[in-house]
Amino acid sequence: MTRIIRTAVFALSLLLPVTAFAAQARYQLQVDGLACPFCAYGIEKQLTRTDGVKNIEIDINAGTVTVTMAEGAAMTQAQADRIVKDAGFTLRGFSEVPTQD
Amino acid sequence: MPGIHLRRRSVCRAVGLALAAVTGLAQPARAAPETFNTALPVPKGEFIFREQFLYKSATDDPSPADREVRVLGGISVLGYGVTGDFAVFGVLPYLDKSLDVTTPGGQRVTRDTSGIGDARLFARYTVFHDDAPGRTFRIAPFAGIELPTGDDDDNDGLGTLPATLQLGSGSWDPFAGVVATYQSLDYEIDVAASYKVNTEANDFEFGDEARFDASLQYRLWPRDLSSGVPGFLYGVLESNLIYQGKNEIGGANDPNSGGTTLFIAPGFQYVTKRWVLEAIVQFPALQDLNGSALEDDLTVRAGFRFNF
Repeated sequence: MTRIIRTAVFALSLLLPVTAFAAQARYQLQVDGLACPFCAYGIEKQLTRTDGVKNIEIDINAGTVTVTMAEGAAMTQAQADRIVKDAGFTLRGFSEVPTQD
Repeated sequence: MPGIHLRRRSVCRAVGLALAAVTGLAQPARAAPETFNTALPVPKGEFIFREQFLYKSATDDPSPADREVRVLGGISVLGYGVTGDFAVFGVLPYLDKSLDVTTPGGQRVTRDTSGIGDARLFARYTVFHDDAPGRTFRIAPFAGIELPTGDDDDNDGLGTLPATLQLGSGSWDPFAGVVATYQSLDYEIDVAASYKVNTEANDFEFGDEARFDASLQYRLWPRDLSSGVPGFLYGVLESNLIYQGKNEIGGANDPNSGGTTLFIAPGFQYVTKRWVLEAIVQFPALQDLNGSALEDDLTVRAGFRFNF
């Protein structure tokens, strides 16, 4: 039994680095001034142009934009602030959220 | 056809006011009002295109001339965001204008023309914006010029067309104004004031134009917002108060030109992330025109906008 547990722990330890490497950073941007669907596309388009952005989810009712980055890519608050400003809106909050992987 | 030329002033007035209402001062390609400007942003480096088709008629002429003016057209607008606050726009109308009139000899004649009208270039800068969760308030002055790109010396078998039946004015006409927008998830209000200085060309000068516009858009559907970005169906109610000064022909005021018209316009707008469908009908609620007038019937506008 002990041997089985040791083997399982060893196998999991091998997987851990792989899991950590595969993790994709996710950020939630709280955007002020976002109040119509047509405006939402403006932010989506700005984010699409940004290197490393893999997926974008916008919730217009909550005023949030959730950005999933490609592996190894990251986003800074200053970068998010510039993107939202270029779209014509105001960044209220920026936070990293737990990954789904 | 001397009768035709004698009637030129009143025709000019009728068609002039009609076109003032048709083309508006500035109709950028953005969600929001359907008959005038908005202060909502055009994102940096992005293009937005708008196409609006229109039909306008003015047929209730009590005089023996029984004038009937009809305008069919399409107005194309391209907007570009230089920054998040600064945007430039180009407006190019394509118009088909016709005038039916009974001559003093009792002959019914039609005079018409079609082609590209006068283009407009203008810029808009957001000088103030206050953003909060789910709402925004913005104030944005704009200024530009109407270019003499339309034909201004077209003629038919009866001679040169009246100045206002021409596709273009032949003149360089600057305009400026300011628009304010309050937008929330439930509704949007836009108000705008603008002024256009018409200059002389071909010994003819249109009267200057002042406009005061207002628009209310109320979200009818979905009633309750879910997550994501659903399409919005707005009910729209707009008003346009348009004042036009008297035209000048050969340096003299035309007493049968200019006046004030108030349009009330109900419509709808369906807005998604990438495109907008819209339609609106402008009814003249008040028409206080100088001299003998050919009053407007109605204007129908329908079109789409597209986010590149």
